[in-house]
Amino acid sequence: MTQEKPKILLKFEGMPNGRALKTYMAHSGYEALKKAFAMSKEDVINEVKASGLRGRGGAGFPTGLKWSFVPKDMPGPKYLICNNDESEPGTFKDRHLCSVSPHMVIEGMIIAGFAIGANKGYIYTRYEFQEEIGQVEAAIKEAYEAGLLGKNILGSGFDFDLDHYTGAGAYICGEETGLISSLEGKKGQPKLKPPFPAVSGYLARPTIVNNTETLANVPHIILNGAKEFRKYGSEKSPGTKLFSISGALGKPGVYEVPLGYSWNRFLNEEAGGLLPGLSLKALIPGGASAPLLTPKECEDLTLDYECMAAKGTMLGSGAIMVIDNRQSMVELLRCTIEFFAHESCGQCTPCREGTGWLNNIMVGINDREVGADSVDRLHLVSKQMGGRTICALSDACAMPVMSYVQKFSDELKAHLAKG
Amino acid sequence: MSQETVTFSINEKEITVPKGTTVMEAAKKNDVYIPHFCWHPGLPIAGVCRFCMVKVDGRPKMEIACNLQATPGMKVFTETPEVKDTHKWALEFHLVNHPLDCPICDQAGECRLQDYYMEVGKYKSQMERPKVLKPKALPIGDDLVLDTERCILCDRCVRFEEKITKTGALGIFNRGDRAVVGTYPDKKIHHNYQTNLVDICPVGAFTSKDFRFKQRVWFLKDKPSVCPGCSTGCSVDVYAKPEVRSYFRVKPRESDVNGHWMCDVGRKTYRHMNQEERLRSGIVTGADGFRTRSRFDEAASVLAAKLLEADTNDIALLVSPQYTCEEYNAFFSFFVGKLGVKKVFQWREPTEKIETFDGILYRGDHNPNTRGLADALKKHGLPSDVKNGFDDLARSGAKLVIALVPEIGFQYPSLNAQISKLEELSFVSLWTINGTVFSHKGIAHAIPMKGYAEKKGTFVNFEGKVRELAHAFPAGSDDARDVVEVVAVLSEVLSHSN
Repeated sequence: MTQEKPKILLKFEGMPNGRALKTYMAHSGYEALKKAFAMSKEDVINEVKASGLRGRGGAGFPTGLKWSFVPKDMPGPKYLICNNDESEPGTFKDRHLCSVSPHMVIEGMIIAGFAIGANKGYIYTRYEFQEEIGQVEAAIKEAYEAGLLGKNILGSGFDFDLDHYTGAGAYICGEETGLISSLEGKKGQPKLKPPFPAVSGYLARPTIVNNTETLANVPHIILNGAKEFRKYGSEKSPGTKLFSISGALGKPGVYEVPLGYSWNRFLNEEAGGLLPGLSLKALIPGGASAPLLTPKECEDLTLDYECMAAKGTMLGSGAIMVIDNRQSMVELLRCTIEFFAHESCGQCTPCREGTGWLNNIMVGINDREVGADSVDRLHLVSKQMGGRTICALSDACAMPVMSYVQKFSDELKAHLAKG
Repeated sequence: MSQETVTFSINEKEITVPKGTTVMEAAKKNDVYIPHFCWHPGLPIAGVCRFCMVKVDGRPKMEIACNLQATPGMKVFTETPEVKDTHKWALEFHLVNHPLDCPICDQAGECRLQDYYMEVGKYKSQMERPKVLKPKALPIGDDLVLDTERCILCDRCVRFEEKITKTGALGIFNRGDRAVVGTYPDKKIHHNYQTNLVDICPVGAFTSKDFRFKQRVWFLKDKPSVCPGCSTGCSVDVYAKPEVRSYFRVKPRESDVNGHWMCDVGRKTYRHMNQEERLRSGIVTGADGFRTRSRFDEAASVLAAKLLEADTNDIALLVSPQYTCEEYNAFFSFFVGKLGVKKVFQWREPTEKIETFDGILYRGDHNPNTRGLADALKKHGLPSDVKNGFDDLARSGAKLVIALVPEIGFQYPSLNAQISKLEELSFVSLWTINGTVFSHKGIAHAIPMKGYAEKKGTFVNFEGKVRELAHAFPAGSDDARDVVEVVAVLSEVLSHSN
């Protein structure tokens, strides 16, 4: 495992006029697309499979495998959607990526569309990213003008149209079927599976939804090969990954490092370490829905899917939140639960009532209006919310709550006792 | 062509079902009960209540039976401690914000939430803080009242409006535990299928204005019958309190004719059988010309005497298509077969448009037995075409008219005008359940009839399907008879006189 720090996804970061098509073309932009057009669809999918690329949106599902679920001989339209609705609290890597390299995402989409046989793509961007929305739309326009989108791209005979769409700011629209519902003009709520989107998604047609960062990896894999992609990262977590790190740090921000990178090195070198006088109280390694880790658990932590799973948490979207010793876990947990209770779409009972119930209990704990058994009840209720619903929002709320109660129950109970 | 099948097991009992069958459907067919709220056999799957969790051997998570297709060799368990615990929690989640106002809720006694609580719940509330409050007693439709606090957001009503009425009248607004069912701003539900929402609502969120607060359901008895509201002939259950001779509601019963639904017009076909609306006794006119109420026997003997006096050629029959095949058979056998009456006319509503159809269930022919009457007429050698026979009757010069008055009066807007026409004829005997006939001073004679829920028999619906009125409540008045019984008495009296 190498600890080099290559810049693949963020190659254009800081480059003058780096976002422009001209700059992108000058650095072998859209070369991967030409190469893909010379390959068969199956070979493109196989190359991505061989790269071991895993979805960067949070779940880490193998991308090539996902693509291969699209029925090959089914007549009629198929769709590709770029999930740029980045809304996990603590995550801001796709925002940065689509601002720095919108053409990398667009090229990845055309290749993906070619591989799965989709002639129509959508980029679904979080509404709040007003500045980035303009940048993405400008890039799409540039690509159309250069003949990289539309009919018969680069004389390949392949047509691909790309539209841009924004939601209304709901967290749940970042869930792939919630996003599809929203794109269809319906209330943004996840759809019952099966059928899965690869078979029946947008407008009940085969649809692949990939995260922005996932798609941005595709040109590199196709142009330089799966082997080159695997040069970084581990066997099961190959490639580089963007991490967005926040907290009381010297240099919070978005950084690209190989998967498997040492956490301590990342904290101290990339993120500039904790501000003077502060110590680590807890770490949220993968967005608000990831169970948190204690400083002890962080000692030998590496930034990859397997290590996180072994420690009972998840890499998620790579949103690292550093909690320092000044922070109140009561307040942090209250905010976390309030977020999920607010964002639950409300269709499945365990999530609708569970998130609301947890919020109700947590407000009671915060205001010292409930008994000491309430802390345990948080855990009891959370346990019943997992794995019971259409989408993972219920789990996303329950998992961190259980970890707060397990690891910081003394602080929560002490808060109640003060009353 | 043989259908592909799948063999799998539920609770270690092997079951073979057609391919594509869900575990929920298979369980239902095999009398294994899997508790559920949002699943409804007549609606698309929503999979939102998360109540119907079952354990599938070899799978890490529990799955919902409603969206789980049976696959060969699949081993499903519905009663393990893990599954039961999940059901208990599913119930707890449903009850977190439920107002628990069962004592004043109309649904009590037929509420699934209440039933499950008695089955798997019976625990104390874990809620220490106030519940989420939501709008109540919303007059959301002509016959509907909505309580969004009682609502468990199962989405059945929303799917019904989308898929069955295709009005999309309802939606779920807001999110999380603030979510509420409702109509769009300033819109109300106006269609003819509203009360189905009350039926499919598993709790007391939707209640019927017509029924709410009238009666506790456990005091009611129900008997299967057939709706007499139109020529579709929906299977129904009629709910009554026989000991006080009161009817309260009509609900659909699943059948291949009506699926799970019925229309709101059909739901009104109980009121005419209640004491305040029905003709409870006969009407006879004395020698002095004064009309009095009479017992059935007296009314029957007066009519028998009239029949004995009359020349057969002076007798006319006026028959509405709202009686059973058995009644027509008895009626025509006696009057046409035995007495030789030749003047037979149909009583139809002049404004009817019998070819119309709303695309769901309700048909323009507002009679349940047009086909049955036509068959009976044909059988007795009489013209059987559908025709309003009032003018022909007036021209026929009949001196003694026996009329089978339409039972469902509200389906005959011209009913009172038509009865007024009959008043001009010399002697008319109305056989009817309709209490308003007494106000027609010119009607000299009437025999009180039973309502459709009080008789057994058959209708033949628009497509020729035989619809069976399988059970009968006791007659709503001591003097009420059906046509078969009246004819039997007349026949008896006449045979003794000969």
